[in-house]
Amino acid sequence: MPFPSLGHGIGLRTRHFASFLAERPPVDWVEAVTENFMAPGGRPIAVLEKVRREIPVVLHGVSLAIGSVDPIPERYLADLERLVRRIQPALVSDHLCWGTHRGHYLHDLLPLPYTEEALAHVVSRVQEVQDRIGRRLLLENPSSYVGFKDSTMVEWEFLAELSRRSGCGILLDVNNVYVSARNFGFDPLTYLDGIPADRVGYFHLAGHSDKGKYLLDTHDGAVPAAVWDLYRQALRRFGRVPTLVEWDDRIPPLEEVVAESRRAAAVEAEVLVAPRRLAS
Amino acid sequence: MTLAETQALFRQAITSPSPLPEERLEACFAGTPDLPAAERIGIYAGMYRSRLGDALRETFPKLLRFLGDERFAALAEDYLQRHPSEHHDVGQVGRRLAAFLRLYPDPDRPDLADLAELEWARQEVFFAPAAKPVGTEAFAGLDPAAFARTALVLSPALRILVLDHAVQPLWRRLEDGDPPGPPSPGASALAVWRSGFDVFHSPLPLDEAVALEGAASGDPLARICAAFSGRQDPAGAAHAALSSWLGEGWIVAVADRLPARADRKRAEPADVLPALDRMRLATG
Repeated sequence: MPFPSLGHGIGLRTRHFASFLAERPPVDWVEAVTENFMAPGGRPIAVLEKVRREIPVVLHGVSLAIGSVDPIPERYLADLERLVRRIQPALVSDHLCWGTHRGHYLHDLLPLPYTEEALAHVVSRVQEVQDRIGRRLLLENPSSYVGFKDSTMVEWEFLAELSRRSGCGILLDVNNVYVSARNFGFDPLTYLDGIPADRVGYFHLAGHSDKGKYLLDTHDGAVPAAVWDLYRQALRRFGRVPTLVEWDDRIPPLEEVVAESRRAAAVEAEVLVAPRRLAS
Repeated sequence: MTLAETQALFRQAITSPSPLPEERLEACFAGTPDLPAAERIGIYAGMYRSRLGDALRETFPKLLRFLGDERFAALAEDYLQRHPSEHHDVGQVGRRLAAFLRLYPDPDRPDLADLAELEWARQEVFFAPAAKPVGTEAFAGLDPAAFARTALVLSPALRILVLDHAVQPLWRRLEDGDPPGPPSPGASALAVWRSGFDVFHSPLPLDEAVALEGAASGDPLARICAAFSGRQDPAGAAHAALSSWLGEGWIVAVADRLPARADRKRAEPADVLPALDRMRLATG
């Protein structure tokens, strides 16, 4: 089944709740961090329901911990299932990572060793979640800072094979590809080439911080020029793919985040539409 | 290493109060000459502390203001060693902080546990499910004969706290940026609730707190009103309390419920029955 054509969106953040409802900004869709809206009451879920009545919402989790060896907590699955039923999101995504251990949450997107053992484990867990929520799950490539001596494949091979075996979609975070490429010294274009085009459901764009010896995925600023360049390459490789701008720290006024999203739309037009016009 | 062994080592490496030996990390994790594995793991360790510390700071802003950044960070480190997060929502990580502060109190400020309990309750009610409050008409529909055994359903966005110190003044002074003043020991009670999307708290007389706790556990009106039997005018106090609960939107349903067998043996205290009569008159 093809992925929905959502257009260009932004992450819906608490700081923007009031202005989002008042201004109805020109964005095609929003992404909501799943866990922030699982509480049964309060303002967040009320705002999300209002927004959902007007535009599509994608639920994007940070705590599923699909690669953890711990069983997926029933409480989490039940909350996720309930929220999916309540919001009827266009897509449901989380990260290719682990983050729970012996019943405790580490609240981070920790990298996995890319081994056959890990692959078989994640495939079965994806199937468990997809069966539970009755939908395809999309998994995002994480930003990574450490690798494993035991890894027998690179991340894009793991992700492509995971998608093939489990049927999950791929949320390709262009900024994360760039950050990990710098942190491990691989070519980000090789990463893009290794991802099957028909499995990518949407892109993420975000900012990062240069810490000297490494890049940190901070989401605390505008999308850097190098990430825009990689986004252009991704558009050439994958074609028109829904794109979302994330901004999670030092969050500016809503119009600034919206402007980044409009810029993504302009870049898409520049890459995908302009050559056709030239050809005609 | 198996996946399980790798994750156990990774967790230990990022949560341990002191770094693990480098050779142990180098055996599992891959680094580069300019950024060795131990330094790379250190990035995750720093983010773990920062993320969970931020969640605690967000939940306990008054405690943070009282302690300052450095003392709060030390408290967070000790707390997280004993109480790692057990919930997928990082905002829940402070669930046991008040209990932790009771177990390991600051000898000069034993009231900080109560302050933490108040701040936690404020967060809980903020995210509690919404429920539509009833008005006086809910009582009007009741069979007068069933009035005394009627039970109340309280709002899920209401918490009753019975504390060892009066922390409302401390909370207020911290809110206003004033010096905190000394602890105020002595049993005190607070109601914490949400109305719309706003959270409130207010001191309660202790007997009213007992009545509300009874109501929350399903006590019938006769027993709820009996909580005020120590007042000079028990019926008037019970009537005033019930009226204010209705006014604040704390009652979301009333139910004609037969008390348990043991309750039925207990006679209704004669001095609170007039309060029930007044409610009937006021609502009927």
